Amino acid sequence: MVFLETDCPTCRLTIPYLNRLAEQTAQVIGISQDPETLTRQFVEQTSAAFPVEVDSNLQLTRAYDPVAVPAFVLVGADGYVKRAQIGFDKDELNAIATEMGRHPIADAHDGAPQRKPGCSSRHLEPVDSSAPAEPLNVYSAVGARASRIDVSEDPYEYCVREFGDPLPVVPPTVERVEHMMRGLDPAQVIGMIPPCYGEATVEKIAANAVMAGCEPAMMDVLLPLVRAVCDERLNIHGVQGTTHFAAPLIIVNGPIRRRLGFACGQNVFSNVARANSTLGRALQLILRNLGGAMPDGIDMSTLGNPGKFAYCIGENEEETPWEPLHVDLGFRSDQSAITLFAGEAPHGVSEHQARSAKGVLKAIAHALATVWSYRACMAAEALVVLGLEHVRTIHRDGFRKQDAREFLFNNTGIPIRAYDDDGEGTRQTHLYREVIIDGERCYQKFRSPDAIGIIVAGGGAGKFSAVIGSWATGSRGSQKVTYPCP
Amino acid sequence: MSITLVNPCNERKLIAAQARRLQTMAGKTVALLDISKPGGNVFLDRLERALLESHAVARVTREIKPTFTKPAPEQLLERLRSVDAVIEALAD
Repeated sequence: MVFLETDCPTCRLTIPYLNRLAEQTAQVIGISQDPETLTRQFVEQTSAAFPVEVDSNLQLTRAYDPVAVPAFVLVGADGYVKRAQIGFDKDELNAIATEMGRHPIADAHDGAPQRKPGCSSRHLEPVDSSAPAEPLNVYSAVGARASRIDVSEDPYEYCVREFGDPLPVVPPTVERVEHMMRGLDPAQVIGMIPPCYGEATVEKIAANAVMAGCEPAMMDVLLPLVRAVCDERLNIHGVQGTTHFAAPLIIVNGPIRRRLGFACGQNVFSNVARANSTLGRALQLILRNLGGAMPDGIDMSTLGNPGKFAYCIGENEEETPWEPLHVDLGFRSDQSAITLFAGEAPHGVSEHQARSAKGVLKAIAHALATVWSYRACMAAEALVVLGLEHVRTIHRDGFRKQDAREFLFNNTGIPIRAYDDDGEGTRQTHLYREVIIDGERCYQKFRSPDAIGIIVAGGGAGKFSAVIGSWATGSRGSQKVTYPCP
Repeated sequence: MSITLVNPCNERKLIAAQARRLQTMAGKTVALLDISKPGGNVFLDRLERALLESHAVARVTREIKPTFTKPAPEQLLERLRSVDAVIEALAD
């Protein structure tokens, strides 16, 4: 028995998992705390495949008295409660499935968070005698079809003037957009794009993909990418509005890199492959055209980021001596995944003299010290993109990826002598950790080794790596998200 | 000859009515919203004094967003709906 509210995002997140339980002939009953009309809409939108009953006057709710929803109550054949759980938790969902003698229902690596708190139960909400407001429906699974525009002038000029970014785009003709959709339902809503929450239907995504020059197969990546960019952990609302440099960097892992032709070697950040350039550009067009973050308006970035034309790389999995990023996160190496990281432009690190792992990593640590602002510690995160020559040197000296991460963490610090005048990062020193690096008292730059991400990319020649600083991090800023691709 | 394009942009109408303008600040309740950026409180402290001392504002309330990176929570917006005007200290 699952207590639900129709406007609770966590309840909506739970439905596909409960469907999996119902598919295995487990008896699942939803108890909606909202009126019938809203409940019907909810069932339709979420495709709930189990009965959902309306709890009139919240009678049942009061009897079980959950503090929040979704609330799961496992009732045994004897009528006694065997297990109860509040909020979304994949481990707990799997435990419920196991206890019911069914297969696990929650994959740890399906893109959704491991845990997510829910909303306060209706019966505990303050009673308001006035007429309830019509709730804003931001969850419609079926969206409006895109309007058609008849253009009699040069379509390239029309597109540059009316939509897209200042570069020319491929005009999204009806035929091209239909070809891009490959028979998918055009009205299906994949996400609502912040900050203006435009509906990203399959048709709208396809129109922007056409404009960016994507091949139709790219829809396999674009749909999970749109879901990922709307994931609240990424907080694209803030990333799009900030005055900072951040732009979402797409990292592609797994066999899909080869299948769709993503570059991960020489010039990986540049104009080297159609797949990287068009996927990166399609995401930016979607953020602008559907999310409304116009670079002369709501996108307030002071200096901007060249990545806002396209910011998409593949990890060089063939050349890395370590497991690639998505395998670190628990995916199988034959699975594909995309990761989004809100980052600055890459900052190059040249180290051609050092012959040891430590020497190379020291050079990178010096660059890491400058992330966000030199003297600001414990706040920002960073992504290190190791070039092939560097990673070979590091690996040759016996370093695993985690060893490299910990070495960078332990050796990135700001000498305390740099804090002798006022400036950004100097007023929070009471929160910093003091360490000794190379015999000198320093403040440690990062909160933990996990604040330093490491991937391997680039071409075979040149002892170069890159450091990419983050935007605001953690639950109050932006967190990396990874979604599986078919 | 014309060509038919699929509209790639957001077509949802965003409706936001402009807030009523105050003719005077005198006797009004004004909320000062700190978005929790550094220095916001310094600026708003000065503003609060100026509003009370030089503009005959009846009452100043102070609100702080939990983080500048995300929209304000609904409860905070609800409190802001009860005042005559809001002044938001946007950035550093």
